[in-house]
Amino acid sequence: MRQYLRYNHLSARSCRGQYTLHKSTGKINRSADSLFHRPQYVSAQEVNEVDTIITVSSLAKHFKEQQVLNGISFDVRRGEILCILGPNGAGKSTTINIMTGVLAKSSGEISFNGQPVEQQLRRYKQSLGIVPQDITLYEELSPEKNIAFFASLYGLHGKALKKAVDDALVFAGLEQRRHDKVKTFSGGMKRRLNIACAIAHRPELVIMDEPTVGIDPQSRNHILDSIKKLRSQGMTVIYTTHYMEEVEAIASRIIILDKGSIIAEGTTESLKESVANERHYTIEVEENGKIPEEKFYTIEGVKKVHLEGNTISISSIRGIENLDQIIALLTENGEKIRNITSETASLETVFLKLTGRTLRD
Amino acid sequence: MDLKNLFKNPVLLGYNTLFAVLFILIMGYLCGGDYEHMSDAYQYYGVSFMIFGMLEGAMTASNCFMERDIKKPNLRIIYSPVGPTAVWLSKLTASFLFDYVLHLLLLAVLCPSLHITLGLHPLYFIALMAPVEFVSAAFGIFFCCVFHCEETTSTLLSTVISIFGFLGGTFFPTDGLGRTVALLSRFSPVRWLNDAFFSLACDNNSSYVLPVLIGTVVISAVLLGGCRLLFKTEDYL
Repeated sequence: MRQYLRYNHLSARSCRGQYTLHKSTGKINRSADSLFHRPQYVSAQEVNEVDTIITVSSLAKHFKEQQVLNGISFDVRRGEILCILGPNGAGKSTTINIMTGVLAKSSGEISFNGQPVEQQLRRYKQSLGIVPQDITLYEELSPEKNIAFFASLYGLHGKALKKAVDDALVFAGLEQRRHDKVKTFSGGMKRRLNIACAIAHRPELVIMDEPTVGIDPQSRNHILDSIKKLRSQGMTVIYTTHYMEEVEAIASRIIILDKGSIIAEGTTESLKESVANERHYTIEVEENGKIPEEKFYTIEGVKKVHLEGNTISISSIRGIENLDQIIALLTENGEKIRNITSETASLETVFLKLTGRTLRD
Repeated sequence: MDLKNLFKNPVLLGYNTLFAVLFILIMGYLCGGDYEHMSDAYQYYGVSFMIFGMLEGAMTASNCFMERDIKKPNLRIIYSPVGPTAVWLSKLTASFLFDYVLHLLLLAVLCPSLHITLGLHPLYFIALMAPVEFVSAAFGIFFCCVFHCEETTSTLLSTVISIFGFLGGTFFPTDGLGRTVALLSRFSPVRWLNDAFFSLACDNNSSYVLPVLIGTVVISAVLLGGCRLLFKTEDYL
């Protein structure tokens, strides 16, 4: 008779390996999964309490004279999709490159499952799946061979490798093209394969650095749906982007990064709540500078004004209709208005409120 | 995977096979008049270009290691648990095997067809090629670790190897070019290797084998240590 033992590799909630105890022989055999320290996932619903998978503490990085990361701290909870949102140059990729071990940090600490990464580097890397910003595939090979090679680096071989390759191809929707060379693929297909190569070995944590850059909206939606699927399977995802729409579509929690510092953290709802009572106007004029900033504050409801180039950004209290007064002020002072946009609560307005700039600047 | 990628690279394959054959045939034909027999010219250029080709293996290694299109998928290897040493060591091994196999194939074709002899003990000749190929590959990897860039490494190595090749007598014997050139040629490793391999092939003299072997082992050890110290994973970003 066999008895199945529970082997707590990491914690009772996070991992179950399969052991079989043969009563007659007294020998214990381990299944293939636990041999590679590959945990069984718990679904998002099973996580009843906050369970931190990664903790980043006071992470800093400087390149010669330039400080790129200013001692940022955050944690990543098991089973969530954490989105790191920020404009180009905010430090997103630098953060990711340090977390993946490619770039050395200047100071700070990264812990994985409560232990510093340096003390368990091999195990940490085994548990990671990384989707870099660039397409990192062998173009002369087929998707099947690409996935097989990269998965083999994580200890998969034989039947387990074949199954992993098949599952990854199905996940990416590329099973019909498994034998074609990658160089014949479209950009969207390459991006999907890029993701498939990262998840074939069923990592605990998937880190994606702007995985939808330069692809069509249909492929992007397919990728976002795939990411939600990963979450439903219990994987934890860190996702960096400068597209708010993506964040709003998939994020459990958001970190907003700007100029190397975290300027906001929370869920989409909580962040929008901070600007729920505001309306934001972006006015493009032909020639800025004719009206000093202080004059705008004389208009009722205006909370914050930012002048940059030919753009005037105004945050105003929602409910107070003052757009006509703002326009009147501009025209009376000889400003020629090119364009006016008005927004209510969005991540764009959150970013604008915190930095005075739009995300796309 | 690295070996597969190398064998799928038409430029590297062509350079190490077709170009070598053409060079030996053309130079042997053009300079045949300087030798008693035409076959002596082919013997000279066959062996000397083989040595030059072995040194050019440094550029195969640098291409395999940090060529722009290879760098990106290689980044995934850095992400994996295999460790950074495995990255450059596998490139070094792959480029060494690639060059060694191709040069052996060249010898297999050229020796019978052009009557190129490798001496009474051809196995000594073939065995001595291995450490030279390895050192050459190690040079390519080491310079990539130093310059962090394949383009710079290839430009520098190609210039240096060409100068060594010229001084060492790859393109034509330098003994008759005066005392200064003869003196300068003593500084070229191609000259030393020419002396060793020609002694084996033509004089059946294996006295150079051990010094070459010891020299290549020592240099390899130094270069491998240098690669371990100097290689940084961020070079792949």
